[in-house]
Order: sequence, then C-alpha cells, then structure tokens
Amino acid sequence: MAAELIRAVIVDDHAAIAAGVRYWCEQADPPIDLLDAGDRLAGVWTGRGADADVVIFDLELVPGKPDFGELRRLVDSGRRVVVYSQHADNATAIKCIDLGALAYLTKREGPEHLVPAVRAAAEGRGYTAPSLSGALAADDTPDRPRLSPRETEVLRAWFASSSKELVAAKLHITAKTVDTYIARVRVKYASVGRAASTKSELITRALDDGVITLAELNETAPLRR
Amino acid sequence: MSDDETRAQLQRGLRIATLILAVLTVDVLGLIHLVQGLKSHDHPAAQFAAFAALTAVLATEAVLVVRRRPWRNGRRLAIAVVLGASALSYLTLPDGMTSTTVDWLFGAANWAGAVVLLDRPFRTFLAFLVTHELLALANLLVFHEVNRAALVRFTTGSVTVFGLPLLMAVVATVLGGIAAEAARAARELELARTAEAAASAAHRRRTQRFAELSGTAVPLLTGLADGVLEPSDPAVQRRCAIEAARMRRLFAETDLVGNPLLHELRHCAEIADRKGVEVELDARGQWPTPPVAVRRDLTNAALTALATAGSWARVTVVGSADAVSVSVVADCAEPAVPLPATPDVRIEVFDSGGTVWMEAQWQPS
Repeated sequence: MAAELIRAVIVDDHAAIAAGVRYWCEQADPPIDLLDAGDRLAGVWTGRGADADVVIFDLELVPGKPDFGELRRLVDSGRRVVVYSQHADNATAIKCIDLGALAYLTKREGPEHLVPAVRAAAEGRGYTAPSLSGALAADDTPDRPRLSPRETEVLRAWFASSSKELVAAKLHITAKTVDTYIARVRVKYASVGRAASTKSELITRALDDGVITLAELNETAPLRR
Repeated sequence: MSDDETRAQLQRGLRIATLILAVLTVDVLGLIHLVQGLKSHDHPAAQFAAFAALTAVLATEAVLVVRRRPWRNGRRLAIAVVLGASALSYLTLPDGMTSTTVDWLFGAANWAGAVVLLDRPFRTFLAFLVTHELLALANLLVFHEVNRAALVRFTTGSVTVFGLPLLMAVVATVLGGIAAEAARAARELELARTAEAAASAAHRRRTQRFAELSGTAVPLLTGLADGVLEPSDPAVQRRCAIEAARMRRLFAETDLVGNPLLHELRHCAEIADRKGVEVELDARGQWPTPPVAVRRDLTNAALTALATAGSWARVTVVGSADAVSVSVVADCAEPAVPLPATPDVRIEVFDSGGTVWMEAQWQPS
C-alpha cells in the first residue's frame, strides 16, 4: 500500500526558510508536497492551504510578538500544527505544546527533525525534537505533570545527544523504547491543561497503542486549571 | 572621615565661636555700655528696641546652631534687622556722642551681622561691613557736629569695629580652604590605596593564572621552542588545541556575565569552531552559578572533547535548582577523560565507536 502523499503548508515571513523547507520536503523520501503561504495567514485558511494535512507555523511572523492566538485558532479548528520558531526559551516551547501544537522545533533544528515532525503530525502523532525535549526535562513550573525519573533521564539524554540510537545504547534500551518514553511524556503533557482536539487525538492514539494506560493517565495528570 | 564631615566640623566650631563672641559683644558689653550711658540717651526706648532686635538675631542663630541648620530665607531679613537697628540707634543718639561708649551699638552691630553671614562668600560679609561703616559715617557727617575729636574717635573706633569681624571672616575663609585641601588629600590617599589594592589583586590573579597554565601549557611551549615536539604531530596539535581552549576559558572566567558557565562554554566552543568543527550549543533550565573550580570540572569534559572533535560536536547544558549537567557529544577519535577536582562533580563517558558522549554533572551536597 503506497502511503498517501502528505501535503503541508508553511507560513513564514522569511523566504529563505520557506525555500529551505521546500528543498527538504522535496528531498524527503517519500517527498512531502509543500505549499508556501508566505507571510499571509489567509493562505492557511483558504484555497489549497485549507486542505493541507500539516501547518508549519512560524510563531513570530511579527518579530518580538509570538502569535499564540493564531496557534490556538488553528488547533481549535482541528489543524495539525508544527511550530517552527527562532525562539528557544522553555516557556514558549511548552506553551505551544500546551496550546495543542503537535511539534515544536527551533530553527536550529534541520531536516533530520522537521521532516519526521511533519510526518508524525500528518498522522496525528506528536514529535518531540531535542530542543523541546530539553525544555520538558527542565520544566519546573508548579503545574507540570509528574514524570518518572526514567522519563526525565530519556528526555535529557535525547536533548543532549540528538540521536535516539545513542540514547538507546547509553541507557541500554531499544530505540523504540526511547520513543515510547518520549511519547508517554507528551501524553502526560497533553492530558493536563486546556483541551485541544489534536491533544485528545494524541492521547487516544497513545492509549490504543498501549504507550500509557488509563490508570497511569489518571494518577500522573493533575488537572490544570 | 569624609570630605564633607571634615568641612562641616571646622565650620561648626567657627560658627559657635563667632556666636559666643557676638553674644559677649552685644548682650554683655553692649548692655553694660547701654545701661551705663542710659542717662545720656534722649530716646532710651529706641535704644532698647535696637538692642532687642540684635538680641533676636543672635537668639535665632543660637537656635539654628543647636538644630544644626544654616540660615536660609531669613538671612536677608536678619541683615535688614541689623542695619535697621543700627540706623535707629544712630539717629536717636544724643549730639556729640558718636563712637563713644554711649554709642554702644557701633561696636556690637557688626558681630550680629557676622553670625548671619559667616558661611557666605567673603565679599558678601565685606559689603555688609562697609554698609554699616558708611551708615555710621553718614550719621556723623549729617546729623552731628563734625570736629576733629569726633573724626578721631570714629577712625580709632573703626579699627576694632571693622577689623575684628573682618579678621574672623578671613579666618573662616582660610579654614574653609584648609578643609577643602584636607578633604582632597584624603580623597587622593584613598584613590591611591584603592589603585594599589586593585594592582596587587590583579598581580595575584596573574600569578595564579600562570601557575594554572605552567603545568600544561608551559611544557608544551618549551617543547615546541626546543624542537622536541613536532608541530606536525597530531598529538601535539591536539595538545595545542586543548591548551588554547583552556587559556580562552581562563580569560573568560574573570568576565562579569550573567551566566558564567555558558559564557565559558561558548569560549571553549569558539576554539573548536575556528578549527572548522560544527558546534551546536544549547542550554535549558536555570541553575545557581557554580564556583570557579566546579565550573572548570564541568567544562573540562566539553573542552577536551571540543578540542579533539573531528567535524561536529553538540554541547548541551541542563540545569535545575539543585543540579547542572554539561553534556558533549562529538566525533572524537581518542577521548582523554579528565578527572574531576571537586568532589561534587561526576563525569561519565560513553564511547560508541567514533562518537563520544561525555557528561559532567554537578550536584552540590
């Protein structure tokens, strides 16, 4: 069965970024069909952009003003969003995830993370790039979900090495287990805070795949107001 | 003692001395003369009014001295009161009594003016003295018989009446100058001491730095100079890279920055960057600033890995309130594992054939 072609739309005010992402998408195997909406958000909501599977969203279309409101609107209307930002601070990364973005990548992270992130988002799965992993590992806000020591260890190792094979070899686990730990963390984060359709999708999938059980979900997720 | 304190103390002493002199001249000597010559006066009430006016000025000054306050808005009024009292007293003097003991105010008025104008510039006080002198002279010339005896009395009287307060004003000016001079000298001395302390601290720091480098960098440099070490030898090149990074870190250690650990890591990374190694540096979380010795342990792993990296390296820092860890993953051929010098730092090395992962973690006990 041939995988259906993934269609993504990018909103970014920097032409070089859009061109670079287009090149990565073309080089990907299988390639990803990319539509460039430039810096116009309307391009995401209308025409071909409205049908795209994934939105690659530059958080700062206006420099210095991260547009969390637009991210919220996209997520609320069921769009699968990959945030691609030049912002590197923890709070921004976690806020994007909390709002329901499936992935958060800094612009220092290249095709080795952006392409898998777009693929994961197209399937409704979250992708945790090393920078986001570091942000989650260092999260010390009072209402963060409770992570197990092993989960934190995996997050930190993934952030440090940027290679799942290395993490697996170092921690004597398989690469798949590394993925499972990271997915569990994302589910814990998805189950606290505000509800978003992409997040419930994430949790449902995690429960279906047995990444996390209902009992675990209940005990590790204090409700955030 | 600060500059202002020195000056204030001198001025206060002088102010009290002037007030005492003024009280003695006006309220003791002046009163004695006034009472003794009371029979000669045509208008004793006017004389007592003048006496009361001068006493009021002195009383105000006494209150100000006790409360350690300068004259402000009242100064002009006080001078007007003194000159007014003088005019009143002179105009009601009986004929031919100018500059005698009956003319009690002639010797007293200038002291009342002195207490008010002591802290003013010298020329202000001089102007007051001259005004008063002209007032007395005008009175003599206009309202009294001008004869030789009266002029002689006026001239000899003026020597003390004008001279003594003038002397006091000169002393005040000179003392002010001395105070300023003393304050400047004290300030210079302090500056010299500070400079000396800074210089000796800098020297100590340099000696310390040299001692830290002498164990590793100096033998390397001597070896290169002697020709014992071959610059084309990869091992020598690696040692050079490590020493260069170590020196950069040493220089960065004294920089005043918000996050010294990251600052020093950036300097280490720059050395690798210059060699053409692609370095990613990322930090997450917040951590307390570790002491220099701990920072060295934390950066040592990164430093050696970066200096020996082939083409790429990823340096990451993850911190929390109670721990901070520095990780470096790089393609080093032969990792040299540094030993931590501080007990709270743990270094882990994971070698996966060509890729080395070193992690230094600090957990203060």
